[in-house]
Amino acid sequence: MRISDFAAGCAFALFGLALLGYGYFLPPMPGQRYGAGLFPMLLGASFFVCGALMAWRAETRSPAVTVAPWVTDRKLAGNFAWVLASIIVYVVLDERIGFIPLSLVLLVALFWRLGVPLVKSIVIAALSTTFLYIAFARFLRVPLPRGLLEGIVW
Amino acid sequence: MDVLIAAFKLVADPYVLFLILAASAYGLFVGAVPGLTAAMAIALLVPVTFFMPPVPALAVIVTTAAMAIFAGDIPGALLRIPGTPASAAYADEAYAMTKKGEGEVALGAGVVFSVIGGIFGTIVLVTAAPALAEVALNFSSFEYFWLVCLGLTCGVFIARGSQLKSVLSLLLGLFVATIGMENPAAFPRLSFGSIELQAGIDMIPAMVGMFAIAEILRVVSQSSIGLPPAYRPGRGIFAGQWTLVKKYPKQWLRGSAIGTLVGALPGAGCDIAAWMAYGSSKRFSKEREKFGTGHVEGIVEAGAANNASVSGDWIPALVFGIPGDSITAIVIGVLYLKNLNPGPMIFQQQPELVTAVFMVFFLANLLLLPFGWLAIKWSVHILRVPRPILMPIIMMFCIVGAFAITNSAFAVGIMLAFGIAGFLMEENGFPVAPAILGIVLGPMLENNFFSCMLKTDGAILGFFQRPIAGGLGIATLAVWGAILWYTLRHDTRNPRPA
Repeated sequence: MRISDFAAGCAFALFGLALLGYGYFLPPMPGQRYGAGLFPMLLGASFFVCGALMAWRAETRSPAVTVAPWVTDRKLAGNFAWVLASIIVYVVLDERIGFIPLSLVLLVALFWRLGVPLVKSIVIAALSTTFLYIAFARFLRVPLPRGLLEGIVW
Repeated sequence: MDVLIAAFKLVADPYVLFLILAASAYGLFVGAVPGLTAAMAIALLVPVTFFMPPVPALAVIVTTAAMAIFAGDIPGALLRIPGTPASAAYADEAYAMTKKGEGEVALGAGVVFSVIGGIFGTIVLVTAAPALAEVALNFSSFEYFWLVCLGLTCGVFIARGSQLKSVLSLLLGLFVATIGMENPAAFPRLSFGSIELQAGIDMIPAMVGMFAIAEILRVVSQSSIGLPPAYRPGRGIFAGQWTLVKKYPKQWLRGSAIGTLVGALPGAGCDIAAWMAYGSSKRFSKEREKFGTGHVEGIVEAGAANNASVSGDWIPALVFGIPGDSITAIVIGVLYLKNLNPGPMIFQQQPELVTAVFMVFFLANLLLLPFGWLAIKWSVHILRVPRPILMPIIMMFCIVGAFAITNSAFAVGIMLAFGIAGFLMEENGFPVAPAILGIVLGPMLENNFFSCMLKTDGAILGFFQRPIAGGLGIATLAVWGAILWYTLRHDTRNPRPA
């Protein structure tokens, strides 16, 4: 998805104004000339100037948004969405399901989606998950959630 | 001489040598995994060092740091996914070289100039530690403020394409750095009531997202997903490196000097050294237009800088017990645990121990040559793995790496958000590297600015009243003026389209 420089510049300029306003209303630091709002205000002003400059220098006739070819290709757009969905599912379910089952399911699903044969997907997912669990949870002491396997896995 | 012999005996102990070898393998693994940093690798070693005498404990730490900082270059060059923040500055450049079929040169330069930088930093550590530490400790918030400004300027220099888009990317990074309570007023800015956001956004999940997740999204949305990038094995990673050493003497010397000096400054570490060195390399290059297209010059300078800073970090740590970065903060803790109080007296009271540590520095840096060669030899097989198999596995590595930062799924969510942002930015010609630099330097910029304002009671002239700060300030303003002049001149020559 390509956003025209004009549209992006305008968006940045508006964002800058919003940030400027946000910083302005932050409370000052007692006894000090500058407070928590100074940096957001400086950044807001910089966003506004750079965004306006970008919009001013841009070609205004090009469409605001140009859809990249892959977006209209069902397979490629599906791959993209599948990766996003996998990470979202991990964020939502990691505590409840646990790392090992989630990693297995997500890897098999993604391998399969990208065209890897199912049996090969299952074998590679099992090996990868085992390696990740041993390396991170056992060796590097990262407390990966056990979820459904609480009390079962070592 | 007696001290040298005693130190040699301490290092030549088979137990110490075995630990150095084991730490090399461990450092290479942790450094090569996106999301895991050298500091994290060393923090994990602390409980293990409890059971060791001082020399093996310090040898393990020194070796792990040197190996991890180099190892971050490997996934950066092969997959465009830097293993540690210290490799983020030139990951794009190294990957562009791999795509051109020059991956061996990029990786070889990573090893060779890491060794050169590391040894340069060690020589400075051995010969000039007390003098340099004295200078570094004279740096106050004024000098730091200008140094951070210079560092931020590098962010605009290093990016290819539109400088305006680089500035906007840098501003986005600085904006992200304002989120949370990590500001002088401790006011929860832009956190929208979220406890996690109040703690701010950690740079590691953001970096993993912007580089790794964005790259995965790019690969899976291409019709040629099964095709691996070109990696042409040639005459070996060391072939042609001597030519580079002869061709770029100024670059590796400058990179090593920048790395050592930045390392010696308390609070600034390998990542900042690499950004500054890459920026200076581009600024002073005769072939500036080649940067970003797969040009080795920046890797020579920044590769030397990040490993030189590993040694530079030890200068204030050993001389004054003041940590140069998070790694040496852990080192100081370990030294105290071993009843060794860092400070000027350590050189008198424990000369053989200090000399042994210096020897380990030389040994660890030299070991980078065989270990780096082995690590690269094995790692290039990654490119033979079909990408439909490789990308999901990298995604899981990234998820676990991001999770390890806060031990919560929130960091994974942050990684995803930055992955989407990084993908969109690259699609629209916004470089992501300046945004990462903004996230790294944003808090330092704000905190130093407020410290200065407190000291001068709000007088801006205070930024120029100390000699070094004044010099740095004028240099920074001159660089900004030059950028503005160049941009305006470029603009007049290439008027905006009608």
